[in-house]
Amino acid sequence: MSFLETLFGKRERSSDIARDRLLTVLVHDRVKLTPDMMEQLKADLSAVIARYVPSVDAGAIEVTLLRGETVDHLKADIPLRRTPQKL
Amino acid sequence: MSRVITITSGKGGVGKTTATANLGAALAMQGLKVAVVDADIGLRNLDVVMGLENRIVYDLVDVVEGRCRLRQALIKDKHFPDLCLLPAAQTRDKDAVTADDMIALSNQLRAEFDYVLIDSPAGIEAGFRNAIAGADEVLIVTTPEVASVRDADRVIGLVEAFEKGHPRLIINRLKPRMVSRGEMMSIDDVLQILAIDLIGVVPDDEQIVTSTNRGEVAVLDRSSRAGRAFVEIARRLAGEDVPITVFDDAPGLLNRIFGVFGIRARGSER
Repeated sequence: MSFLETLFGKRERSSDIARDRLLTVLVHDRVKLTPDMMEQLKADLSAVIARYVPSVDAGAIEVTLLRGETVDHLKADIPLRRTPQKL
Repeated sequence: MSRVITITSGKGGVGKTTATANLGAALAMQGLKVAVVDADIGLRNLDVVMGLENRIVYDLVDVVEGRCRLRQALIKDKHFPDLCLLPAAQTRDKDAVTADDMIALSNQLRAEFDYVLIDSPAGIEAGFRNAIAGADEVLIVTTPEVASVRDADRVIGLVEAFEKGHPRLIINRLKPRMVSRGEMMSIDDVLQILAIDLIGVVPDDEQIVTSTNRGEVAVLDRSSRAGRAFVEIARRLAGEDVPITVFDDAPGLLNRIFGVFGIRARGSER
């Protein structure tokens, strides 16, 4: 019942999954950042940011490579923990 | 002005040889003099696709190594006297020829033919580089699948690095009905990813299997949807402005009406 599942939004269309996976894989092929290097990059980023913002959540940092129209993007999402404010 | 065009893909099994044979025949149907060259040394295949395997005496390596003249190695097609095949050697490997050999050979063929189509081996190694060495332009064949498109992207980069201009794309084995269900990448999806010009779309067509079984090219069969797509691509190659048709196998209105009675027209267009 893949058609009904698609219709009701239960399952993403496999053609969209293929396109998105390809976009990711191609930009990784070109930029040549290995998964190890990505992990190292995340660790370095969190160390640098922690010097300025102590509430950085090192484990939750997401770094992704995205393919754009003319340039590719290295996008970092750096969540900060909300610490209860002292009165 | 003769043109040397290499057909390549990166990934194997996506239809390079079938495309070369059909485009060669379709150009010959237009009254042009065409040579098709099998550059897959050691894995000769273009001869069987064209049904010429029993006529081979000399091959590409014999020409390069001077054991025969070019004209002795060229095999005339069964249907088109202006279409000739230069077969690959089957008992040698890719190191038997160099890029310079291929450039010299291409130039020799240029003198005799309007179009020289070179069927490249899969991969990005020496065999591929030799196959594009003498080319003026390159056609990339891909199917709408992740592995094939990924390899096509790599090959496009290499073709541009070897300064062969901007290659054009043939999307092969498209299944329009799967695309409309969202189960196969669309033409637009593939073009968005690869960012190159499209020269044609060939639908998945079981008749390719039966025509290859017989050693006949699909363009000879007017009922073959893939054959008609190759005829259109050949016209575009020759410079004609032909809008891209996706030859769909989905039942049209007439087919749906007749379908009730078990009758089905063939090759409806969209």
